[in-house]
Amino acid sequence: MRARALARRAVPAAVATAAVVALLANVRARPPALAVPEKAARPSPPPIAAPERRVSSKRPTSKGPTRTGTHTVTTPFSIISVRVTLTGNELTRVETVELTGNGARTQAINARAEPILREEALKAGSAKIDVVSGATYTSESYRRSLQAAIDQARG
Amino acid sequence: MAELAVIGQHRVEEVMGIPVGIDVRDAGIDPGALDRAFDWLRWVDATFSTYRADSQISRLNAGTLALEEAATEVRAVLERCERLRDQTRGRFDVRARGDIDPSGFVKGWAVETAAAMLVEAGARNLCLHAGGDVRVRGERAPGHPWRIGIQHPRERDRVAAVLSARDLAVATSGAYERGAHVVDPRTGRPPEGVLSVTVVGADLGTADAYATAAFAMGLEGPAWTADLRDYDALTILADGRVLSTPGMARLRVPTPIN
Repeated sequence: MRARALARRAVPAAVATAAVVALLANVRARPPALAVPEKAARPSPPPIAAPERRVSSKRPTSKGPTRTGTHTVTTPFSIISVRVTLTGNELTRVETVELTGNGARTQAINARAEPILREEALKAGSAKIDVVSGATYTSESYRRSLQAAIDQARG
Repeated sequence: MAELAVIGQHRVEEVMGIPVGIDVRDAGIDPGALDRAFDWLRWVDATFSTYRADSQISRLNAGTLALEEAATEVRAVLERCERLRDQTRGRFDVRARGDIDPSGFVKGWAVETAAAMLVEAGARNLCLHAGGDVRVRGERAPGHPWRIGIQHPRERDRVAAVLSARDLAVATSGAYERGAHVVDPRTGRPPEGVLSVTVVGADLGTADAYATAAFAMGLEGPAWTADLRDYDALTILADGRVLSTPGMARLRVPTPIN
C-alpha cells in the first residue's frame, strides 16, 4: 500500500498526507470503475455518504502523538477535502470530508452530481453588466429592477 | 459602461405584459427592423397569450378552435413542446395545470426569432431581453463580449454571477418574482430547495423550457442539467449553494463582491 510504505520510511508527515490527498483526488476524479486502488478497502467505489477509509490496521492508541490535518485539493471535477490522522509516523486514518453540507439531501445531490458540477457559495456582487437574466418579472417589478437601471443608463 | 462610446439603437417596449429591450450596437441598421421585431413579439402575444380570451391558445383551450385551424406557428410550437416534454422527463409540460399553456417555451422562442430577424436585417451585435430571458450575439463593443448578470435571488440590485459571451441564450426560472408559478407536474406543487435555475445554450426557447423543467425538478434538477447536451446550467439552492456545470463555469467572469 502506497500510503503505508511512505509512512514506514518515516517521510515527513506533510509529504505522506499530500500523497494520500493526491491519490484520493485521482480516485474521485475518475469514473467509478477505476476507483478502488486498495485491495482491503471495499469492493465498490466509496459512496460520498460513507466518509471513512481505514488505511492501517493499527489503532490510533498504539504509540506516539496523534495529529490530524485537513487538506483540500481542487480537481477539474470537484473540490475534495480529506482529514488525515497520523499516530507517530503511522498513517492511521484518512477520512473523506464531505464536499460541503450535511444531511441526506445534500449527500444525494453530491452522490449524483459531484463528478461534474462545480460548487460554490452564493454571493451577492455588483459588476458592470449589459443585461440581467432572472425569473420572469412583471412591468411593475421591472421598474425597481437592475435591468431597468441598465436600460436607463443605455438611453 | 461609460468608458466606451455606445453606438446603435436601444428601445424598451412593453409586450406580453413585460418590458422587452432590444439593444443593437451596429451603425446603419434600419429602425424599421426594430419595429418589425416588436411587431412580431406583439403578434406572438396576441396569438399565444393565455391571458387573452381571443388568443388561439385560449380558443384551443375553450374548444372554439380546432388544432388543424390554428396558425402554422401554433402547431409548430406545440409539436416542439411535445418533444421538450419527452426530453425533460415530463417536467416541462404545457398541460401541467390542465389547460395548454406553452408560455414557458413561447417567450424564449419569440425572442430567439426576433434576434434572427434583426440579424437578417444586418445586425451583428445585439442584445435582447424579455422578462429575464436574454439573447446576445456579437459584442457590446469591438473586442468586448457581452456581459450578462444572473439575478441574485434575494437581493434585487445584486447579481449572483456574471457571464461573458458573444453568442448565447440565457433563461432563468425561479420563484422569487411571480411567486410559485412553476409547479412540478408530478406533484402539482412548487419545487422545494431551489431558488433559481439558469440555463444557457444556442436556442432561447430550449433554454427557457430546460430552465423551467430543471427548476420544477427541485433538488434533482442540478444532476439533470449535468447530463444536458449543448446546454449548461447554474442552480442556486435555498441553502446558499451554487452548482454550475463545467461549461457554465467556463463562461463565468469574476464578480466583485460588495
